Amino acid sequence: MNKTRIIGVFDEENTLMAAVNQVKKEGIEINEIYTPYPIHEVIEAMGKKTRFTFAAFLFGFFGSAGVLAFLYYTSVIDWPINYGGKPTNAFPSFIVVTIILTILTVTLASLFTFSARSAIFPGKVYDLPDKRSTDDKFVIVFDKPTVQSGTDKLNAILHEQGALEVYEKELNLKN
Amino acid sequence: MDTRVTLSKRFQYAAIALIVVGAAVMAYGFITHPERAWANLLLNNYYFLSLSIGASFFMALQHISQSGWSSMFKRVPEAMMAYIPYAGIIMLLLYFGMHSLYHWTHEEAIAGDALIQHKAPYLNIPFFFIRLILFFMAWTIMTRLIRKASLDEDKYGGMLYFEKSELLSKIHIFLLAITFSFATFDWIMSIDVHWFSTIFSLRNFVAAFYHGTAVMVLFIIILHQKGFFPALNKSHLLDFSRYIFMLSIVWGYFTFSQFMLIWYANIPEETAYFYERWHSGFKVIFYVNFFINWFLPFTLMLSQVTNKNIHIVKALAIVLIIGQYIDLYEQIFPTILHAPVFGLIEIGFFAGFAGLFVLIFGKALASADLIPKNHPYLEESLHHHLH
Repeated sequence: MNKTRIIGVFDEENTLMAAVNQVKKEGIEINEIYTPYPIHEVIEAMGKKTRFTFAAFLFGFFGSAGVLAFLYYTSVIDWPINYGGKPTNAFPSFIVVTIILTILTVTLASLFTFSARSAIFPGKVYDLPDKRSTDDKFVIVFDKPTVQSGTDKLNAILHEQGALEVYEKELNLKN
Repeated sequence: MDTRVTLSKRFQYAAIALIVVGAAVMAYGFITHPERAWANLLLNNYYFLSLSIGASFFMALQHISQSGWSSMFKRVPEAMMAYIPYAGIIMLLLYFGMHSLYHWTHEEAIAGDALIQHKAPYLNIPFFFIRLILFFMAWTIMTRLIRKASLDEDKYGGMLYFEKSELLSKIHIFLLAITFSFATFDWIMSIDVHWFSTIFSLRNFVAAFYHGTAVMVLFIIILHQKGFFPALNKSHLLDFSRYIFMLSIVWGYFTFSQFMLIWYANIPEETAYFYERWHSGFKVIFYVNFFINWFLPFTLMLSQVTNKNIHIVKALAIVLIIGQYIDLYEQIFPTILHAPVFGLIEIGFFAGFAGLFVLIFGKALASADLIPKNHPYLEESLHHHLH
């Protein structure tokens, strides 16, 4: 939606978090926060939970089960070969391959899951509210309140918590 | 809040009772089953020594990495190190049991065996005990110096002792890497004198670090539940759990590597080791060992929910106490006794040594303030917060 937003730019993680907590106490809704690196408190403060670790666990579980099944199929069922008199189901020697392939599976599957979930792909043009959030600034975005007093109050809180600058901008965001 | 732990009379009597019962069982064991008794003595003394070594390595790591989060707990691994000199004295008793434990001490065995003859310049009784004394001297001196620096820090403050601890810890882990490797070769690996494994010392070192850390966490949790360490929070617990989780993986990795390479190469002089450990009922122990020391902690510590639950971490640490026993049982007993035995003698020996270890630990813990006063990172540790 294309709407007027209020953007606060912060210099540090703790001033940003102070502002976030203050704003939440006042009951003002935050639209989005952009930070140079992931901050777990921000995710918590936005009331969001990540299921990403559970997804990674599932990839690992099914990855290792799949690799073991594949090894069993190739070396026991489909093409059994006698190596030095060992049983064709040489389970201990499967483990090393399983570990390595599980790591590969989890890494690639997590990468694709993350890319798909956050709609990132090579060559994507980013429409960031403030480009400095990829550098060293912490950016917080609000929808502009409908009444002027709300805007003034928000401005006052952000400045009070140490925002470098607060400005308004027309932005096309998801909500 | 009390800054010092005071040992209650009940605790001391309980520990002494354990020692007395243990000593009675030991006497009975040495009279009736001398071989079994010597194997038990070696196992239990090495067991509690490995906890001390593991704790000392944990503490040295904290010093070297200048970790803030763990600084308020440093008295606990320090107190666990106090057992090292006692372990040294008990280890000297092996002199009287060499024939029961080590095949290479038998004259007639050496005479007809080219391999033992080849190893004789290293594996002979005088040199064995010279090394043993050197190892224990190195560990005792280093742990004493680190402990002294820590106590001096309490007394005088300043950055001097913080830096001194770091330097001493660096020397300590350097010495430990060499001495503990040879110690495991001497005491445990030479039981199977024809067999050798290059990853053996690393594997046993990780086992010591692993179970030493687990027991240290158990002590800290028990102290916390008794009202000490009020600042212990979920973030500390998460860090401890991560240590246990990480070490269970490393332990599993090394232990499995040793087994897998021997299994795969299938060379007779190497497979003889696992032949002993897969027959006459020992095979169950082989699997239980992997289950308790790798599978259980690995699956249990995957989730942050269980990581931060103090009761689960405590229960796991208690299970890992059994884990280290099983790990050592599998390494020491098969070659000496050829059939799995477990009974009054095993329980009595363990009880006696546990009593001694806990008593020494308690005395050392009570002899200094529980929370170091002047550690530069103490505040960070008290307010440790993870995301």
